[in-house]
Amino acid sequence: MTVHAVSPAAAVAEVGTALVAGVYVIAVLDGAVSARVAGRSRPGTALLVMPARRAARLLLQARTTTERPDAAAWAVATVALGALAAGGLMVVPLSARGAVAEVADGIVLFGAAMALVMVAVFLHGWSPNSVFPMIGGYRFAAQALSYEMPLALVLIAVALPAQSLSVTAIVESQHGLWNVVRQPLGLPLYLIAATGVAFWGPLAIPDSADLGGGTAAESSSSELLAWRVARAAVLVTVSAMGAAAFLGGWWGPLLPGPVWVALKTTALLAIIVVAGHTLARVRLESFVVVAWVAFIPLALVDVFVSGILALR
Amino acid sequence: MSLQALLVVAAALFGVGVYGALSQQTFVMIMMGLELMISGAILAAVAMWARAAGGNPKGQLLAVVAMTVMAIEAALGFALVVAIYRVRKADMTEKLKRLRG
Amino acid sequence: MTGSWLVEVFFWAFAATAVISAYLVFRVDSMVRAAFWLLASFLAVGAILVLLEARFLGLVLLLMMAGEMTIMAVFMVMFMMNPAGLNPMTMVHQHRTAVVAGVASFLALASVGLFVRFPDRPVPAEGTAQATADLGGELLGDSMLIFETAGVSLLAAMVGAIALASRNGRFGDAYVSSRPPDLDDVTAASPADGPAAEADEAAMDGGGMDHAGMDHG
Repeated sequence: MTVHAVSPAAAVAEVGTALVAGVYVIAVLDGAVSARVAGRSRPGTALLVMPARRAARLLLQARTTTERPDAAAWAVATVALGALAAGGLMVVPLSARGAVAEVADGIVLFGAAMALVMVAVFLHGWSPNSVFPMIGGYRFAAQALSYEMPLALVLIAVALPAQSLSVTAIVESQHGLWNVVRQPLGLPLYLIAATGVAFWGPLAIPDSADLGGGTAAESSSSELLAWRVARAAVLVTVSAMGAAAFLGGWWGPLLPGPVWVALKTTALLAIIVVAGHTLARVRLESFVVVAWVAFIPLALVDVFVSGILALR
Repeated sequence: MSLQALLVVAAALFGVGVYGALSQQTFVMIMMGLELMISGAILAAVAMWARAAGGNPKGQLLAVVAMTVMAIEAALGFALVVAIYRVRKADMTEKLKRLRG
Repeated sequence: MTGSWLVEVFFWAFAATAVISAYLVFRVDSMVRAAFWLLASFLAVGAILVLLEARFLGLVLLLMMAGEMTIMAVFMVMFMMNPAGLNPMTMVHQHRTAVVAGVASFLALASVGLFVRFPDRPVPAEGTAQATADLGGELLGDSMLIFETAGVSLLAAMVGAIALASRNGRFGDAYVSSRPPDLDDVTAASPADGPAAEADEAAMDGGGMDHAGMDHG
């Protein structure tokens, strides 16, 4: 496996900085949008400090636990969610230098990381030994199986014009024309699947309020903070992948490459965060039916069209 | 990571799978044993491909076919478990004592 | 390859993880933990496949097994009487036979692996990308029939599984035409003997009455 000539320390620094910055941006955006939707107006400095205050308040909470939880699995679930976010971000190129890990099958590694998110959330729901978290975990299993096929198909369609599964090659193939123009069905389907992976907004089914917090119902204090940060990290990863696969990654006129990557990722993040505050949470039954009956055929049409265009 | 070491590991996985498939009483655990056996077979196939076949793609094809078999066996096995439970209320092999329609 | 001793260390670590977690699947009391120990075993096998320069196959195995093991955990909770392992119990039958069979199959296969002289044609060291491209060419070239058959088999399995497991009956949707299974413990003896015994008795009564009727007449 050829790793891009970055030392392990530099790799950790690059991915870590991207994730921390992305999580902070999500927190600020979330606060701004929720204040705007609620009709309040907050000064800018308060918004920028708000994530630190919320984190501090969570850390000062009392730590509660349940009776006979599966403590090892609980810890593994939270750590695994963060690790999978970092693993998925490893293959996304954040600048023209290339990704931290130049994997020739980057799309498949990303798909495997996002598939294992299902395991992490299910374990997080199973381990507290409590009813509502378990229901949340089960619901996420149904949700994850429904969005996984469209996610995989849309990413395969993106790999066709590049004739490579490597994410860097996919970005390089968008030099003249971004994939969002070439494959118009791709980005909407990808955004829906990405919202499902990060279980945010309209697809926040495992942690939903009608389950009293779902898989995070029994979490408190540092574990809750770690879970929410990991979930935001997954959102950063899928947005970065969307920016690389559909919006052309580092290509752009005046500004340097990394700035374009940051701008495009933030644009997708903003779309998902705004959708989280404006769209209602969908019912799981409706989502499953629509995903299997509508999204998979649409994703197949996307693959066929991009295949025909690639064979021309 | 010689071929011998890989084949011994694959044989160990297969052996544990045989033990599980024969010793467990519940259908789901028997299926876990079957999955382990196929996993040992996949590892052995890819080990041969990597060390003895020089990258001939038919070795990878064998592994892909074995993965397909794993998926089909899991899907139909679970469906049969559900169907048997609905008809005979049996989730363990010991409860299926009578050959009755 | 630089650091090949590191590769060896990782290989033995993954191999040990695979075999030990495979064994733990059948040892733990908590059933969901059994499903996830199986996932750990598959993750280790996938990692070994990646180390063997078959990276595409390893990653696809990880992807497949994530979904499969979660579903297996759901099925464990559905069908096992002790899903959380709160009461320790062992449910094995023919234990000694199984151990003997397991050890015998391991010894047989390991001796084949150790004592047969296999040809030594290793895949080129940096050949991973080429391996993926070769697999793609093979699937859509020489072995397209196998590929298509596998695809149709998977489709047939999906249709068959849904047909077997679905509750939709002849008379409409599930909630219209089926009734849920009753939850009392149905033993094997009573439903079989009950109607049959009653039928036998009814037949004997009918025979006695008939004889009495004919005797009268």
